[in-house]
Amino acid sequence: MLTRTWRWTVATEPGYKVTVTNPTDAELVDACLAGRREAFDVIVERHRRHVYQLCYRFVGNHEDASDLAQDVFIRAYRGLKNFKGRSSLGTWLYRIGVNVCLNKVSVKTPRAESLDALIGVSDERVATREEDPSEALLRGERAERVRAAIAKLPKKQRATLVLRVYHDLAHEEIAKVLGSSVGAVKANFFHALHNLKKLLTKER
Amino acid sequence: MKHLSPEEFVDAAEGTLDAARAAHLRTCEACRTQADSLGALLRDTAAIDVPDPSPLFWDHFSARVRERIAEQPEADRASWLSAGLRTLLPLGAFVALVIAVIAGTLLPRLATPPVVAPQGQVAALEIEPNVDARNNEVWSVLTDAAADMGIEDAHAAGMAVHPAAIDRAVQRLNKDELTELGRLLQNEMKRTSN
Repeated sequence: MLTRTWRWTVATEPGYKVTVTNPTDAELVDACLAGRREAFDVIVERHRRHVYQLCYRFVGNHEDASDLAQDVFIRAYRGLKNFKGRSSLGTWLYRIGVNVCLNKVSVKTPRAESLDALIGVSDERVATREEDPSEALLRGERAERVRAAIAKLPKKQRATLVLRVYHDLAHEEIAKVLGSSVGAVKANFFHALHNLKKLLTKER
Repeated sequence: MKHLSPEEFVDAAEGTLDAARAAHLRTCEACRTQADSLGALLRDTAAIDVPDPSPLFWDHFSARVRERIAEQPEADRASWLSAGLRTLLPLGAFVALVIAVIAGTLLPRLATPPVVAPQGQVAALEIEPNVDARNNEVWSVLTDAAADMGIEDAHAAGMAVHPAAIDRAVQRLNKDELTELGRLLQNEMKRTSN
């Protein structure tokens, strides 16, 4: 993977300048708040993949996930002055992401992936070099079934499952994101897995 | 012994169940079956990836976010006021002068503790000239000086103020100072619209 080095000069006091290399998220937030919009580009580049994946887990298709992920960053930009640094910027973005997804996503009508949207998205049904094509097809179909089942879960259960399983957030962090207790998060997680099992069994 | 609770099943599936309850799990077939089933489902679900968008998508994504952000007001800490400052007063130097007026004349007064007169002498106290009257004098000198000055002239004279400096100055003002600044800006708006 390509990595980019970010450098810029910051005037700390009159007569003094400091060059910052690969600024931390906190430094980037400060730079944004001081009017340097390009600092937000770095934030987007750092976190866009995780935010997009979070949205994709909620909606199950590329097109909506892309729109929602954009909304997450726009909201983050607007609300940057409210970021107090008590949690990491990533967790804060997840919180916005979950809210954006919970507000915009209809539980009953998860959209299927359109053919157009699939263009440009690597197709997991294509066999890897060592894999049998029929195995690849089965794997792809199973992945689609699981994603569709996740999309049918009640919103809080879905959020809990996505954050825990795919974004590796601790139960405590999920509780912060969802504004609930650790006990409630664990109970939600249990029910999410239980319901997921029922949904997958029903489809067979 | 009591069966595992939903929370404990989660701990069991994640391998963090405490020793006492783990002992129950070893002896209770019902709990063990459910815990194993949840653990297997958890592993299967975790193995499902999100299809990776094309590398070109990410550049397009960043560009779209950048475009939409360009339409937004700046993400500053006092956006309403600094946006107002920039909109109402294109003359950056003028804003600096306004803040200087407040900082130089009003703030020391606001910071001075009130003098408590001994009882019985209240009627004899002389009333100090009020702050507004003093400010008005300074204000009129400054507005006269800045009224015909264009932004380019101000820049040429080294009076340009960086937006971030305005933001920082505004953030340091307290509630009274912000109110006073708001009043001054409104007056200036009325004056320039006439």
